[in-house]
Amino acid sequence: MSAADLVIGIPSKGRLQENTFAFFARAGMPLSQARGARDYRGQIDGMAGIEVAFLSASEIAAELARGAVHFGVTGEDLIAESIPARDEKIVMLTPLGFGHANVVVAVPEAWIDVRTMADIEEVAAAFHARHHRRMRVATKYLTLTRQHFARHGIADYRIVESLGATEGAPAAGTAELIVDITTTGATLAANGLKVIEDGTILKSEANLVAATGANWTHQAREAARQVLMRITAEETARRMREIRTRLPQPLKPLALGPFGATMPFGQPGGEVILHCPVGRVGPLSDWLIRQGAKAVTVSTLAYVFKSDNPLYERLTGGIG
Amino acid sequence: MSATPLACHTDLMALFARHGFDAGDVPILQPAEPFVELSGEDIRRRLFLVSEAGAEEMCLRPEFTIPAARAWLSASCAGQRAQAFIGPVFRQRADGSGEFIQAGLESFGRTDIEAADAELLALAIEAEALLGPARRTIRMGDVGLLAALTGAMNLPAAVVRRIRRNGGAGVSAAEPARTSGLSAYTGVLNALKGADPDEARAFVKDLLSIAGLKAVGGRTPAEIAERFLIRAEDDGAGLAAEQAALLARFRAISGDPDAVSAEVRALSADAGIDLDAALDRFDARTGFMAARGIDLSRLSASAAFARNLDYYTGFVFEFVAADAARPAIAGGRYDGLLRRLGAPADVPAIGCAIWLERFGDPA
Repeated sequence: MSAADLVIGIPSKGRLQENTFAFFARAGMPLSQARGARDYRGQIDGMAGIEVAFLSASEIAAELARGAVHFGVTGEDLIAESIPARDEKIVMLTPLGFGHANVVVAVPEAWIDVRTMADIEEVAAAFHARHHRRMRVATKYLTLTRQHFARHGIADYRIVESLGATEGAPAAGTAELIVDITTTGATLAANGLKVIEDGTILKSEANLVAATGANWTHQAREAARQVLMRITAEETARRMREIRTRLPQPLKPLALGPFGATMPFGQPGGEVILHCPVGRVGPLSDWLIRQGAKAVTVSTLAYVFKSDNPLYERLTGGIG
Repeated sequence: MSATPLACHTDLMALFARHGFDAGDVPILQPAEPFVELSGEDIRRRLFLVSEAGAEEMCLRPEFTIPAARAWLSASCAGQRAQAFIGPVFRQRADGSGEFIQAGLESFGRTDIEAADAELLALAIEAEALLGPARRTIRMGDVGLLAALTGAMNLPAAVVRRIRRNGGAGVSAAEPARTSGLSAYTGVLNALKGADPDEARAFVKDLLSIAGLKAVGGRTPAEIAERFLIRAEDDGAGLAAEQAALLARFRAISGDPDAVSAEVRALSADAGIDLDAALDRFDARTGFMAARGIDLSRLSASAAFARNLDYYTGFVFEFVAADAARPAIAGGRYDGLLRRLGAPADVPAIGCAIWLERFGDPA
């Protein structure tokens, strides 16, 4: 390990960590913790010049903002909450397809007269006038809450910072309503809370994020290029199927347009190899048969490496 | 500021003292609660919070008004006091240091309202001249005019609140009714028209028990019932077209103070709305301003001018340079503040803040 290494912040526990491990493994980059699960440093097997730092998701957001890691896997909710002027500090490279959760405004179900933020505005003003104190919102999302409430013209409230079990605050009497993250809403319902209709502040999922302020040495850039190439190769492969066939006449590439398919290797010797989005495989195969193909085979792809690397271009666009 | 900030501070304090504002002092470390409770989240995110083991949350003072008001309350709860402050205040800011020097003038308990308003503005103008060339626009208004107008128009409370928060902006013609949890209860609302609070409360309790809901969280069934009752009387449709037109006309009125007053008088006559009391106070203030030697043509008054917060209750003003986004001097009247801090009733209060750093090198 050296100071020139690429450092990747990876969640240190829970479902987010499992999913992140699975994601990197699929991309051919198995993560390992050198001395077992208690070690906070790790590596990618078979790739030199990369250091993995195991951190909590919120630490990852903070380390990205400081530029202490080059890449990090963390939720959009934490990025939006904790990194002011995020466009200057980070580049969102790609959503990862897991860790889906919404940051929502939730109120007691017994507030049968409250369905929208406009209701909350009225109720907050009446509450302030009646109790001579502001309605309290329990949350750990201070910034997101302030932005959302300001957007809806709500001023008569105050935030009570909550670092755990936020959904219990109304029942415990420490707040009147909450802003919290939820996946299915089951925990909210179990606590007698309901989500406000226009109260979804953010639909979040885990993202691969780059820090613009990290030490982007030549080696770090090169390691980043390789990591992003592999991620792109896996992602492209997952979305595509390979179709092979032979046709009596050469295939015109323009004819593939409606199917979103490509012919990556041309058609040397009359064999046609196509890459086609998963959802269009059926129509394309049918069309090929009608063009005179005797047989069409479809197979999954493990990786599709290409000379262009859009994720790396996005990275260099952000870090200069 | 010049290279000798201390000299300019001394000159300012001497000026303030000549006008009856004694040198005041308040601790830098303040309880955070009053700032959060009075100014809400908008100020809270700018506070430098300090925690003390086992004690209430403290902060570095973000301004002088609330500390001065609390000091006045604990010292006397009565009588007049006019104080001037100068020193560091602390606010988290995206640009610039979080610590900067502010001067503040705070006057509590003076009952000759309009004269006090005019004197404070005159003093602010002198302070501006002392700090550099007087090249700023002075914007002014009177929150009392808007309050009188919305009061006389008999608007729903929610609409009044939005108008006040925005100085009349943001509430445009025929604002559509906003979707609400109450919309689902049209039948109920019709049935509740003219009902008394007990009936409404019993009704809401029934609704809750039918749905198997326990009242959880700080609102009681009585509070929910109250909202049903208010909505039953007012259909929540927002503004009628003629009301929106009246507000739009009001909002467009601007000019020197006398022109504004004349136009608002014309508007009130046309609409058959009595705003005489508020306008007489407005004119009395203008008279005191002229008597103080203020050049009225320098004042850019507007009927709907309001500084943010629902904190101000009357005269409001700010000095803004042509090239600046934010005022260099700003203040006004906040007669409700002391009651909200614990006084038994409203107390006349007026003051302003001077951002000394915004008197940079003259362009």
